Amino acid sequence: MSREPAISVSEVSKTYRLFGRGSQFQTLKSALLRRKLVHTPDTSIEALSDLSFEVNRGEAFGVIGRNGSGKSTLLKLISGILKPTSGTLAVDGRISALIELGAGFHPEISGRENIYINGIMLGLSRREIDERFDRIVEFAGIGPFLDEPVKTYSSGMYVRLGFAVAVHVDPDILLIDEVLAVGDEEFSQQCVAKIQEMKYRGVTLLVVTHQLDLVRNLCDRALWLEKGEMAGLGDPVRVVDEYLQSVAGSRLRDPGPIAEEPEDEGEAEDEESDRSEEERWGSGELLLTRVALCDQKGRDLVAIGAGTPVTIEMEVDVREPQNDFVFGVGIFHTDGTCVYGTNTDIEGFLSTRIESPSRVRFVISSLDLIAGNYRIDAAVHTRNGRAFDYRRGAIRFVVGSRVHDTGLYRPQHEWVFEGGMELRRLDDIHRNVPSPLAVTMRDLDAEAMKKSRRKPRKP
Amino acid sequence: MTTTFRDLFRYRQLIAVLTARDLKARYRGSVLGFFWSLANPLLLLGVYTLVFTRFFPRPGVDAYPLFLFAGILPWTFFAGSVLESTSAISSNAGLVKKVMFPAEALPLVVVASHLVHFALALPILLLALGVTVAVGKAVISPVILLAPVYMLVQTVFVAGIALMISSAAVLFRDLRDLVANLVQLGFFLTPVLYPLHSDFIPAWGRVLLRLNPMTPFVVSYQSLFVFGKVPDTLDVLLMLLYATISIMLGFWVFDRLRDTLAEVI
Repeated sequence: MSREPAISVSEVSKTYRLFGRGSQFQTLKSALLRRKLVHTPDTSIEALSDLSFEVNRGEAFGVIGRNGSGKSTLLKLISGILKPTSGTLAVDGRISALIELGAGFHPEISGRENIYINGIMLGLSRREIDERFDRIVEFAGIGPFLDEPVKTYSSGMYVRLGFAVAVHVDPDILLIDEVLAVGDEEFSQQCVAKIQEMKYRGVTLLVVTHQLDLVRNLCDRALWLEKGEMAGLGDPVRVVDEYLQSVAGSRLRDPGPIAEEPEDEGEAEDEESDRSEEERWGSGELLLTRVALCDQKGRDLVAIGAGTPVTIEMEVDVREPQNDFVFGVGIFHTDGTCVYGTNTDIEGFLSTRIESPSRVRFVISSLDLIAGNYRIDAAVHTRNGRAFDYRRGAIRFVVGSRVHDTGLYRPQHEWVFEGGMELRRLDDIHRNVPSPLAVTMRDLDAEAMKKSRRKPRKP
Repeated sequence: MTTTFRDLFRYRQLIAVLTARDLKARYRGSVLGFFWSLANPLLLLGVYTLVFTRFFPRPGVDAYPLFLFAGILPWTFFAGSVLESTSAISSNAGLVKKVMFPAEALPLVVVASHLVHFALALPILLLALGVTVAVGKAVISPVILLAPVYMLVQTVFVAGIALMISSAAVLFRDLRDLVANLVQLGFFLTPVLYPLHSDFIPAWGRVLLRLNPMTPFVVSYQSLFVFGKVPDTLDVLLMLLYATISIMLGFWVFDRLRDTLAEVI
């Protein structure tokens, strides 16, 4: 596959014409009476203005924003249902759009026939549908009703069938508009699982949704639209959070001397998923003044051996006392893979009050990672995910290992050999090993020192 | 224009399944099935035969029921397609707005399903022809084998008009009323009830009839089925001319309006 972006939007604007005086439709009679066929709009509204971005192949791209911010217009432009007023849009690959599930179904016709009709509408040939038919029926779970007219289906079955057909088109690019909100819990999960599978297979996803968790968990990047303009683009967790801050209102803006906002939005983001700089954002009522990876004696660590006991220490400063707060940590490989993430809310701690500076310790009795570079994100946020202080890449550390095993995680294990074979353990497996335990701050080289000095100033 | 034709080729399967869908949906749950679509022309046939052979007997043609039937079928194909195409797009707003969907397929599906009705009625026309021959009022001629060619030309003509009307009807909501009235008027200004060359039509009346683009089509079917003759060269040329103009104009209008359809619908 080429490295061309899957979707490239450049300087796209979309203006809707609004026709006042009751109706957007004109009648031929009135047009003839006025002797002009072209109806001039009373006003026009710019749904999208001068928007430019690219979505890379295989990327999951979230679009968030308030109602009326232009999200759905954007999706319809990309899908080709609408045409931009100005600017250019290039899409490379077969698109399937989940805008309204089952939009093409005819109620009087059986589910079986509707699958064929819908499939052909979405660009499949009859033979391609034959190949996919069983999978579609199975996914939709409509087995016994397959030959009943669709009008007898429950609304749940209807959307399931619509979703099933649309995702089995095997698109290169899947556009999703808020459709996961319909249907029951089980179906939503089934959909999300299917979408994740598609993402894994390299399908480019563009998701318009109000389910911010979905954007945070599924997407590689997010775009925040505000009144048709780009208000944010980049890391989904950060963009979602900025959005939440904005929705919560401007009063939260005052408190922080927080967060030197990363300036290199967008472009640089995808070139280098691992950035050595810390990213930090949040509203700042609570501040993580110190985040450190320590050994049992409280010394800062930057390199550890696999299986070392470690503690993530966080010191919290309180600018405004809070009742609703959650501490979270995440360990990431520098390729971006999340190794582990949790927070106090997930693990059932209910916050009641924080008034004065405090300390949180996340104690790991044995950090069984394989050799590699890792980073730790630490955050304190509200239960619904609005960040007080989010520190992405607060800590970077290296895991060294005696063994060149692969993967992410090393389970506690041993080998057992029985029967007629003989194996001898070699001692020279120990060569090239960084010290088995703990490199402390004092052992840092100059570069790491430079990095560590970048910690945000204390308030 | 060329891209439109290429798209059309790509969408032929779509048009085929949508037509099948429409036909199935229309007749599902009705015992008589497609015969309902024949009910209207048959009823017309009965009433007009009664009126023009008994009450007001001046038809100017021997096998009047056959003559009437041969004209009513192509007229119904035209009128039904044109009337229904006024709502072809607005009644499928969901598809146009929510699915990546070639909107031009919708009027073409309307035309295709009316063409199917027309084709299904042909055996009955042949039956009527057989009966008329048996009573010695008509002759069977192999020229009726040319009928599919005329149907094809008429389909192209109707498709062009359907494309024009379907897209314009989205912008002008009162077009439907206008079209309904014009079609009703057009029926009497098309030589369906009477032969074009009846001696009771004054010369200026014949000029008026000649201005109607449906005239050569209807006259040609009558010529094939009733008189067993190849239609006049003038009629053939006019049909080809009308079909060409209509389809080109149809795609031109549709192309110009296409981008606004999803917005204003």
